[in-house]
Amino acid sequence: MSSSGEASTLLSGRTPVGTSDGTSEGTSDHASRRGGWRGWALSALVVLLLLLVFEAGHRVLEARSQAPLYRVIVAGESLTLDAETHAAFSRDLTRLAAEAEATLAERMAPWSQARLEQAFAPLEAAVPGYLDWYFSMGGSYLRLAMGIAGDQAAWLEAQRHERLVEASGIEPALADLQADHAARLADEQQAVVEAMSARLLERYAPRSVADADIEAVSPPAFDLDSEMQETLPATLDTRRWRSAALGGSSLGLLAGRPLAGRLAASAAGQSGRMALRALAARLGAGAARSLASGGTAAAVTAPTGPGALMVGAATTAVGLAGLVGGEFALLKLQEVRHRPAFEARLRDGIVEARGDVARSLEGAVSAAAARLAEGLESRSEEGERMPGKRMPGDAIPDHYRILGQLKRPAGPDA
Amino acid sequence: MARRVRVRRLLHRHGHLALAVLVLLAWSLSSNDWAGVLFLPVWVLATQLIVAGSLEAARLRRRAWLGQYLRDNSPWRRWLQGGVLMVLRHQLVGALLALVLLVDLRLLPLSEWPLLLVAVPVLVLARNRLRRRLSRHVVAEHLPAVTRRLVTLPAAALLALALVLAALWLPQPWLIGLGWEEAIARHLPGGEGRALLGFFERLAASAELTRQWAMQNAVERFHLATPVAMLGWLVLLLTQGAVAWAYVRLLVGAEALRREGRVPLTVPSGDGAPARDRQAGS
Repeated sequence: MSSSGEASTLLSGRTPVGTSDGTSEGTSDHASRRGGWRGWALSALVVLLLLLVFEAGHRVLEARSQAPLYRVIVAGESLTLDAETHAAFSRDLTRLAAEAEATLAERMAPWSQARLEQAFAPLEAAVPGYLDWYFSMGGSYLRLAMGIAGDQAAWLEAQRHERLVEASGIEPALADLQADHAARLADEQQAVVEAMSARLLERYAPRSVADADIEAVSPPAFDLDSEMQETLPATLDTRRWRSAALGGSSLGLLAGRPLAGRLAASAAGQSGRMALRALAARLGAGAARSLASGGTAAAVTAPTGPGALMVGAATTAVGLAGLVGGEFALLKLQEVRHRPAFEARLRDGIVEARGDVARSLEGAVSAAAARLAEGLESRSEEGERMPGKRMPGDAIPDHYRILGQLKRPAGPDA
Repeated sequence: MARRVRVRRLLHRHGHLALAVLVLLAWSLSSNDWAGVLFLPVWVLATQLIVAGSLEAARLRRRAWLGQYLRDNSPWRRWLQGGVLMVLRHQLVGALLALVLLVDLRLLPLSEWPLLLVAVPVLVLARNRLRRRLSRHVVAEHLPAVTRRLVTLPAAALLALALVLAALWLPQPWLIGLGWEEAIARHLPGGEGRALLGFFERLAASAELTRQWAMQNAVERFHLATPVAMLGWLVLLLTQGAVAWAYVRLLVGAEALRREGRVPLTVPSGDGAPARDRQAGS
């Protein structure tokens, strides 16, 4: 074996002499001559070494910064999920939250149906009494008098309010219904949320990662329980509900005077005309003619001044004086003819009002459910980054060309 | 027939370059799984090629220095000739450069590959021409090495310039008005597996996205004048020159490795001069 010095001067490139000792200091000649496999081996070694270093660094980075584990607290149980399971969990949560509205409506429907029946039953029961009064002698003449005096519609509304609404006690019943509904909604929401938690727990508890070294990393926790507890009050919005129950119909619930107006609008909206026609029927042809030509029409409809009113009142009074005898019979006849239709209209009005109340209650339910879903969805998405979340919507160009962009601002400059 | 012979000679002479480029091309266009599997061998190959070139250049420099300052009979000549340390240093740097090159090649859009392919014949032509020019001035023994050393820089600069100009035309993702995190989250390719290679790719992609995001938003927000914006883009894009630099060095290294394997190249004394002539003619 020659020394490396010799080898370097010997031009021994093609001979293996001096390359096998490996004790040389790795002179250039040796390296280049052994080049073949030795350089490759060295490269491979260096690359492997680098690979190992990078791999280790990558591991450390991954474990430290990326935190691929998520901790989720569901129904009091703390689950540790890896990224994939957590994504599935988020999707499930979102889906369940979206379904919450249907579930909630389903749970609330029978109860509110029953309560509505209960609340409106007295009102419906009061209808015959009102009709009795309406077609009674006293009621009839009062109506007539008011018709002549001119403010019949408002007076009838007041009468309806007094005899129908107040007598049936629908106002306090509706207020109670509202308050109870809010409480019931809270309960049902709680139940729905608990059912959701239970389902999620049942589904994801087996997929939880059980490792001892997780605790050291301490991934960020998503506490579904507390999120739900936080979301619930927001959806219930109890203060608003309470004020709605106390102060009237801020949420569109019908109560009190608006209900009376509602009944009037549908049942006896044409009260002025109705009264006039009924009166005409009872007064007979001649009187009707005199009335129509003279006072009543002017008195009821035309605000032409005190003079006209006086004239109308006088002629009507004269006409009435001769007709008292046949009045009762005529009244009964009219009742037979008109009462069924009138009653039907009143009941329609009540049904309509009840439908309104039911709709507003349903609206409250779905609004609460929507807020619950929204709150949960936004919270569950907060933890992870959702790349495509804001993708639809604003129409931004999807490409940027440097030259194209540079030309654009150059235009106005020039 | 003559044409076939010519083609065969051409292949014989420059087959190593074609092979290296084809390996890189195939690897960078292959699917993620294959790329992950072949990452290590391709990295070793690229490292070896780059190191061969850079070692040659480094030894050239070192020998010039030794010949300038040391006596012929000094033992320092041998010690300082460049040994394990030099080799190791170059292997390390070469491996890192190869890594940068490979990862960037993975991210390179297909439309920039023609530039890289065209760079190969251009490099060969430039080298031949430069060698003819230099043959009258440079010692024949060192002619190929000197030629390779001198051709690297202009070739790399040219390729970098071409890549930058291409980047001016190529579409980028629209990042104006996005927060940095959002831009990254939206446009970063989501690769879960392929542990290390995927990680490097994401790293490089996020670096590129950051550059584009910064410049796009700066141009838009500060209403930069066209020359300023152009300058900014050029400066930012010139960091892409790393790819061109590494690529050209890889090609030159392949050349050096090939010639070195065929002909003993490095001999401090002038004994091997006749052997060198043959190579110079090739």
